[in-house]
Amino acid sequence: MAWIVHRNFTVKLQLTKDKTVEIRLPGGGGSKSATDIAGVEMFSPDCDGCPAVRLIKKKKAWHLVAADVVNDPNGTLPSCWEETPHQPVWELPRAFQAPHAALAVNSSMGTFSQSTADAIVQDMMSGLDAAKAAPAASSGSKKFGIKRESQPAAPRAAAKSDTPARRPTFPDAGTSVSENGRRFVTRPMAEQGFHLYSSLPEFQTLWISRLLPEGKRPTASSIQVAESALMASVFLQPEFHAADGSTLAIFVRNEAIFFAGYKKGEPVLWLRCPSAGGINAMRAAIKKTLGVGDDLIRSVLEESLIDPRPALEPFIRPIFAQLELSLAYLSSKHGLKFDHALLMGLDAGAALWSTYAEEALRLKLIAPNPYDGLIVDKGVETADATGYLVALGAAIAGAEVSL
Amino acid sequence: MNSSSLHLNLLKPTERRSSSPIRLRVMLPICAILVCAGLLCWWGMLFTNLMMAKTQASGIEEDLANKGKQHAEIIKLRDEARELKLQLEQLDYYKAGVRSVAEPLAKFAEIVPMRVQIKEMSFSPLPAQILQPPGAKAPLFGPTENVETQKLVIAGLTTKETPVVSLMESLSSGFEKLVTSERKIKSFRQDNAEAEGRKLLSFEVEYTMPERRFAK
Repeated sequence: MAWIVHRNFTVKLQLTKDKTVEIRLPGGGGSKSATDIAGVEMFSPDCDGCPAVRLIKKKKAWHLVAADVVNDPNGTLPSCWEETPHQPVWELPRAFQAPHAALAVNSSMGTFSQSTADAIVQDMMSGLDAAKAAPAASSGSKKFGIKRESQPAAPRAAAKSDTPARRPTFPDAGTSVSENGRRFVTRPMAEQGFHLYSSLPEFQTLWISRLLPEGKRPTASSIQVAESALMASVFLQPEFHAADGSTLAIFVRNEAIFFAGYKKGEPVLWLRCPSAGGINAMRAAIKKTLGVGDDLIRSVLEESLIDPRPALEPFIRPIFAQLELSLAYLSSKHGLKFDHALLMGLDAGAALWSTYAEEALRLKLIAPNPYDGLIVDKGVETADATGYLVALGAAIAGAEVSL
Repeated sequence: MNSSSLHLNLLKPTERRSSSPIRLRVMLPICAILVCAGLLCWWGMLFTNLMMAKTQASGIEEDLANKGKQHAEIIKLRDEARELKLQLEQLDYYKAGVRSVAEPLAKFAEIVPMRVQIKEMSFSPLPAQILQPPGAKAPLFGPTENVETQKLVIAGLTTKETPVVSLMESLSSGFEKLVTSERKIKSFRQDNAEAEGRKLLSFEVEYTMPERRFAK
């Protein structure tokens, strides 16, 4: 008989050669699926405050018991190690005081991408060199955009440049590792050799992990990059389940558009659409081409008084070109043929996008409500559900929900 | 991580905090301190008890020594008391065994006939009253047996046999405290002495006296 104490507050008692009993100690995290979890999108570039939701699983169904924009933590996300000593304490409103909280962070220094193991290891070797520092323009702001490209940056990287780089070992799937001042986590994709990985600077991860105080609900059980949560948000959709987990999703955000492909619930594609901005770029194109004010843009997209095609087509065409390439890739590489795709995150104009997609690609775009698949409890505001997409994705991923 | 979930969690398991107000990492040191404090208190109590027990033991030892002396004195006194009690008991025996012969002897003078001259009345010697058994600290007082017998020898002169017979008859009643009926004429013969021109006869009569009983 042998006792084995693990760092995650579990004790394994090996009774016989092949019989082991695991005892979970109080205070331990463990990997048990959460049934009551708050999902919070931090430093969202789309709104003031943090969109937050609380999901509770009752009788095998997820209930949305709260959804609101909560105040930001009292402080900005640090952009360098020197800023980390200022550690605020963040307490969520009572409605969101679940036992666990999954935090999805928008950080210009964060990474979420699909890549090969070698490329990921290379990125791990470069560490902070590969991550760009907070852009000078946004250094004083509390807003942090999604990382576009690798930029140089961290203040400590230069000091390490002379030492020979040690080649890090590729981390186990789902295991968070620290390497060269960054935190990495990977997950294999359906295609052999490809992995999804996300990373954040170590100081940002530590800063976020300490935001929610110990001994009070909720405490952080998950820290994700916002795009990672975005990709997981599709798990709530009935359409996704109806297609047996094989679907193509287009996530439209204010600054970027992402394509995500799934095959039987496994990710096969994550691509940030190059050469196209997000909702902000679309609005700018409408304003510029049609000469309408900000207040009329929604009317242009939702109503038929003004034909937005001259403004929308030039904006959408490159997106659909990339989408066509992605469809061809999914078809040839994975044998996935889609006659429809999910269009998520677009608050207005989804019908127009679908019309154009049918014309150009013979692909019907379905814009589901992010709350579809959830039982919305009384008193929860259902307007502007698209704003909670990342928070929902963080919560559902943090609850370890799978297909 | 579930193979089908899309949870790319950057948080390490060791960084996870408990939402429970009872924090293991806080409670463990507190419990450890409390246990240590409890052990110290326990040890303190044990030490105090030990010291108290030692003090009590030394006190008891002193008391025991004093009591030993007192006990020896008491034993000695009890021995003395027992000895005195025995002596008293012996005296009681003597008291019970007192032989009052004064009255019979006074009466004896009245019954002596005219022709009889009592020359001697003697008691047979008693056995030694004080014994010294081997190993005894003090001599034992008292008779050796519970019943003591003595002989009374009456010797005298007479002119003829008849007065002596008369004397013996007189002694047979009213003198039970002095003599019993058991008697023996030890001698009756011609004496050299004369009275009224006649040779006198000397006689010795031995009487067994009543038993002297030493009993309560």
